[in-house]
Amino acid sequence: MEVGMLPISASKRGKLLAAGYTTLHSISRASPSHLATDIGVSEDEACEILKYASQTSSMDPSIESSNASTLHGGQTAWTMLNEEKFATRITTSCGDIDNILGGGITCKEVTELGGVPGIGKTQIGIQLAVNVQIPPEYGGLGGKAIYIDTEGSFMVERVLQIAEACIEDMSEYSHHFHNNVQDCEVKLHPNSILENIFYFRVCSYTEQIALVNYLDKFIEEHKDVKIIILDSVTFHFRQDFDDMALRTRLLSEMALKLMKLARKFCLAVVLLNQVTTKYIEGSYQLTLALGDSWSHSCTNRIVLFWNGDERHAYIDKSPSLKSASAVYSVTTRGIRNSNSSCKRIKMV
Amino acid sequence: MRPQKLLHLPAHKCTVGCPLLDRFLAGGIPCNSITELVAENATGKTQFCLQLVLYAQLPPSRGGLSASSLYIHTEFPFPLRRLRQLSRAFRSSHPDHPVADPCDRVFVQGVYTADELVDALPKIELFLIHSRSRFPLKVIVIDSIAALFRSDFDNTVLDLRRRSSLFFKIAGGLKSLAKRFGVAVVVTNQVVDLIEGDKGNGVRVGNLSALYSSGRPVVPALGLAWANCVNSRLFLSRDDDGGDGDVDGSLRKKRRRISVVFAPHLPHSSSEFVITTEGVFGR
Repeated sequence: MEVGMLPISASKRGKLLAAGYTTLHSISRASPSHLATDIGVSEDEACEILKYASQTSSMDPSIESSNASTLHGGQTAWTMLNEEKFATRITTSCGDIDNILGGGITCKEVTELGGVPGIGKTQIGIQLAVNVQIPPEYGGLGGKAIYIDTEGSFMVERVLQIAEACIEDMSEYSHHFHNNVQDCEVKLHPNSILENIFYFRVCSYTEQIALVNYLDKFIEEHKDVKIIILDSVTFHFRQDFDDMALRTRLLSEMALKLMKLARKFCLAVVLLNQVTTKYIEGSYQLTLALGDSWSHSCTNRIVLFWNGDERHAYIDKSPSLKSASAVYSVTTRGIRNSNSSCKRIKMV
Repeated sequence: MRPQKLLHLPAHKCTVGCPLLDRFLAGGIPCNSITELVAENATGKTQFCLQLVLYAQLPPSRGGLSASSLYIHTEFPFPLRRLRQLSRAFRSSHPDHPVADPCDRVFVQGVYTADELVDALPKIELFLIHSRSRFPLKVIVIDSIAALFRSDFDNTVLDLRRRSSLFFKIAGGLKSLAKRFGVAVVVTNQVVDLIEGDKGNGVRVGNLSALYSSGRPVVPALGLAWANCVNSRLFLSRDDDGGDGDVDGSLRKKRRRISVVFAPHLPHSSSEFVITTEGVFGR
């Protein structure tokens, strides 16, 4: 025990242990008078003990100081709470979805979005790739995006449409809130928005895995990347794998790498997934593809679905967000709030 | 591994032969992507495809790709007579076209089963690599994909899974070729009737809550798995009850409609079209 390392008499050591002070950490946090009353020694002796305690802990590197934790790299929940409050979020341009997400897609986390074809997954991906570039003066991150396209659904003309609409919205916003004409100048041009999206096209699962492995080095050289979008993570893994265990291993390794990237570089990772039908309890139900083991690989999971004529987004799994659903629409300008009169955020 | 420059990404489109339909498609059929045409029999899918492979030979200034095409057909026989008819109409409207017989630029291959198609992919790749002539191969049509999967598969879970993995293999191979060689791939699909109360079949995919053709609710064949494999889906439908005012006593005009079910670059829209001896045209 650490108290045993103090150069004090055995009786004092015994009194410390009896009073409940087992580690140097606990001793150093006590005040001299407090320590004196606790173990029944004079204040001078208590000061001496504290002096020895601080000396020993500064000499011995294996003993952590009171501000660090017992394990290297660990954090107290208090620091983590503070960090989470200021965690940056990327808006989806749809107020309702932002509301249920607590402000937008969170950085440092892996978010999975899944839905049937045509529900708007690629559209949301493109919108996020544009929105991450909104400058800080307008409430964005001013970062760059990595877009990994496995399916070929990324159409540059659509990105241009969304980028132009985003710039128009920013100009309108600045016209409302800034009197100075110079401030109103939005310095972004649609072409520069395109240049800030690093677009990769992969045509097989080996390319996909190789690219994810390479991203660490790539982001080291491009530190302003703030979002990685993988559209879609599923496509190349649904061909027949003779060994399904191999597929599960490859997928979980990939998920782990992406999670590490998210934490290390404080960026958001968005994975787009497909749906498949699963035979559960006698009927066919829609679930996200890649199986049950994959569903543990992401932090947040959002399911996109049709309800009548409206597109809904539903938080299926999240450690911090409440289960809720929101309505959104896909317009020529991108993802926006839905105009339907009966829209509401449903809390489940 | 280096990211591609988006501003230099080639984004060509191939005209389908009618300016109204091109406008509906925001320029035409996109390259580097799989476009699916879903329709009931005799609605016009094959007409569309035959016209496309002829107009792909136009130079880019006229909306084409200056390209030859590969037409893979799974239903026999290949409509050669109709292709010749359309080719005559094409030549009369484009008298300065350098190729004497546009049918020379259309390569036809018949395929019977899904496994044959999978085996054909490497041969197509070789063909693409060696077709660097004046008219490189830039359009691949598969008419129709549904016919390949109709007979070999039972309705058991195991067979359906095998079928699904074949979808992804074929789609993955086609998309890889599309990306490497800038090819526009068009696939036609059939429809099956939607049985009321059948939950497995009736999943809503795309902009239209229900697809109707000839007054019956229908659903594209091959299910949700295949829907995940294509980039865009266009639905062609026909309606046998005639239009208002267009009907004389004996002849009822068929109204044909093309709609966007889902596409990454197209909004929800639809347009009417007609089929004449000269080809397919929008109205």
